[in-house]
Amino acid sequence: MSEITVFAAQKIVTMDPSRPEATHVAVQDGKILAVGGPDCADAWGPVNHDGSLADSVLMPGFVEGHAHMMAGSMWQFAYAGFHDRIDPKGKLHKGMTDIDAVVSRLREFAADLPPGKPVVAWGLDPIFLPTERLNRTHLDSIADDRPVMVMFSNFHLMCVNSTCLEMVDYTRETNVEGVLRGADGEPTGELQEMAAMFPVMRRTGLDFRGLSQTPEAVKTYADVCRLAGVTTITDLFSHMEEEDLEVLTQVTGRDDFGLRLVPALAAVGASPQDIADKANRLGKKSTDKLRMGAVKLMTDGSIQGWTARVKWPGYVGGHPNGLWNTPPEQIFALCETMQANGVQMHIHVNGDEASSVSLDALEEASRKHPWPSARHVLQHCQMMGPDQFRRCREMNVCTNIFSNHIWYFGDQHAALTIGEDRATRMDAARSALDEGVNIALHSDAPVTPLGPLFTAWCAVNRQTMSGRTLGDDQRITVDEALYAITLGAAYTLNLDAEIGSIETGKRADFAVLGQDPTGVDPMALKDVPINGIVFGGNVQMN
Amino acid sequence: MRLPLTVISGYLGAGKTTLINRLLAEDHGLRLMILVNDFGAINIDAALIESRQDDTISLSNGCVCCTMGADLYMALGDALDRTPRPDHLIVEASGIADPAAIANAAIAEPDLSYAGIITLVDGLNGADLLRDPLIAPQVAQQIKVADMVLITKADAPPPELSQTLSEHDLRVPPVLQVKAPVAPLLSDTLPRPKGRATAPHPVYVKWASDDPGELTRSELKARLTARPDGLYRVKGFVAGPDGMNEVHVVGKHLDVRASTAQAPALVALGLSDRLTTRQIDDWWFAR
Ligand SMILES: [Zn+2]
Ligand SMILES: [Zn+2]
Repeated sequence: MSEITVFAAQKIVTMDPSRPEATHVAVQDGKILAVGGPDCADAWGPVNHDGSLADSVLMPGFVEGHAHMMAGSMWQFAYAGFHDRIDPKGKLHKGMTDIDAVVSRLREFAADLPPGKPVVAWGLDPIFLPTERLNRTHLDSIADDRPVMVMFSNFHLMCVNSTCLEMVDYTRETNVEGVLRGADGEPTGELQEMAAMFPVMRRTGLDFRGLSQTPEAVKTYADVCRLAGVTTITDLFSHMEEEDLEVLTQVTGRDDFGLRLVPALAAVGASPQDIADKANRLGKKSTDKLRMGAVKLMTDGSIQGWTARVKWPGYVGGHPNGLWNTPPEQIFALCETMQANGVQMHIHVNGDEASSVSLDALEEASRKHPWPSARHVLQHCQMMGPDQFRRCREMNVCTNIFSNHIWYFGDQHAALTIGEDRATRMDAARSALDEGVNIALHSDAPVTPLGPLFTAWCAVNRQTMSGRTLGDDQRITVDEALYAITLGAAYTLNLDAEIGSIETGKRADFAVLGQDPTGVDPMALKDVPINGIVFGGNVQMN
Repeated sequence: MRLPLTVISGYLGAGKTTLINRLLAEDHGLRLMILVNDFGAINIDAALIESRQDDTISLSNGCVCCTMGADLYMALGDALDRTPRPDHLIVEASGIADPAAIANAAIAEPDLSYAGIITLVDGLNGADLLRDPLIAPQVAQQIKVADMVLITKADAPPPELSQTLSEHDLRVPPVLQVKAPVAPLLSDTLPRPKGRATAPHPVYVKWASDDPGELTRSELKARLTARPDGLYRVKGFVAGPDGMNEVHVVGKHLDVRASTAQAPALVALGLSDRLTTRQIDDWWFAR
């Protein structure tokens, strides 16, 4: 019989309706043996009392239902963003609010690099920088003897120095779409979209393929998660070749690896049947820390890029409707085959036309192959209204809502993309809950930073960057938001029997918090300190 | 030597793979490399390509959701890094891709030379696609940005397709001939490898001159801009007062740059239902 440890806490918020609060939790073999007071496990024999968390508040480890493994790897480059961020090592990077701050930060970063090594930075968002646009002159002042490149937060743009421009022969003669030129006719250094960026990336050795699936990327991902109190996370569009599976199994299998990773296989590049077979094969190779078997479908693009498929009246300002990344007929074909083969689907839907078409496809598939407990998940769901949520309830389809958008892009959505009135009801968590749909809330890291308490804060307060409340009527309560980032998300991953609440029989995965999120002012929810996690009964402090 | 890149575009089922197989089968002496961008496609076209060796790379575009699609570009880099380099790179764009984005990579990358977008339109269901509100804009875009549009699976442009094309303000393209060689559509290298000449075929109009005269750069650009309708490719070297200029025209795309080449020469190619050799001659020598 292995040892029993009883952790004392200032408070345990269990998410178990039968015992919403407790002070002690007993752990054996990585699982929860009992929940209650100091004597909760006495019936099971001798116990060790652990007081190291006595000043902390415990919650179920947070579950991030939509993120990408790249979120950790980006930190090998310099951070050049507007907002404060914490890197995987726990170091705070203060946000930079003007170009001078970006330049001086990158100078410091360059000084620590070996001579000649390219200076690469990420996360710049020019919309939030008040002065002129970043240009090659700024970057030449960081280094003029080697490449300097700054990627924007959306990964669609970058700015490079003169050394880079020379390497790729971009001059005033160059007539390439995406190579911006100034009033003097010379390239400014700003490059837009991959076609214009790739010649520079190729010559500086920047390869995005190395940002996922490598042992280093997996480990950094776990670090990023621990700092956010996350114990289970997805990698939602994974390619999973044979060698990737080997790496993932090996790295996640280590005793000190404290994360349950849920990769969803990208449903592209093969026939639907082959994809389904591969997903089912992978599902059988799952371990307690590597959970496979689901797939991810792409449908449309993004709203802020005007590539989401939106219904009438479309985008404000007459921007044409977005793009299908997978044509509707193939969405239908994929849904039918996955449903027939018992493969759970996560379906990317930003615009309301994409969610509508996906619901149609799910409905047709479910007529042919009934599977009421499939728990397919619509991901992002940014423009879904009560009508579509009702369809979700009728078909037992889950929704994972992109609440972080309200804060990061809400002002732009109101002004530039879908207009004021549809912006106030986007990411409609209230409507979803009112219609009885299971919800999760997500960050889509690295698109926005990983942090379930911040994501919950967004859904509760619906505040934008300019400080306004975007759609008061779509706010949800703190309790509802906390449920969504634990049990709600666990349900979308078919893991709610194992994780998502602190109750006997489940895995001992906890978030260790500095304050009680149910006790603070809802506006302070995002500021609740994350002290670390307990993973399978092992304490890992930040 | 820059590596020429041709994009083959068209909606699902338009016949892209068939065209590529025809290119691979013809005796043109070119070492072709095929990149198949399968993102969003559910049957791997790469598997249908009758590949001879490892000269076909299939991509499934590892696009981190909503952020970027870097795979294709990384694969272009891989193709350029191969030794020996292929003679010609062909990218089969996915059925929903905007081929202009891929073409732009060839224009941007100094080691690549842009050899055109060929968009295929399905003669059987092209009209339906262009009337489907969900997908028509993407299909129309593929046609709009093409340097050469060809109708497949038909002997003549079907009336219904012609009608829908004109509703979209698109002109009716010629059909892809089943019997005619297709390699001339690539014809980028000059001279052709190992002195080979493609067999003349009545579908194409070919024109060549080893004495194209002397023009200043601006005269040259003006001349090329005024090229006759239906001229698909113009390629070669034209002397000027400041030295030799390299000329590179494919469809709508025009590029003139300084060159160190010694001998002037110019070749042109078009489709015979649009153009005659005489017209090309009249245009170039301004008669
Ligand atoms: Zn997405
Ligand atoms: Zn995503």
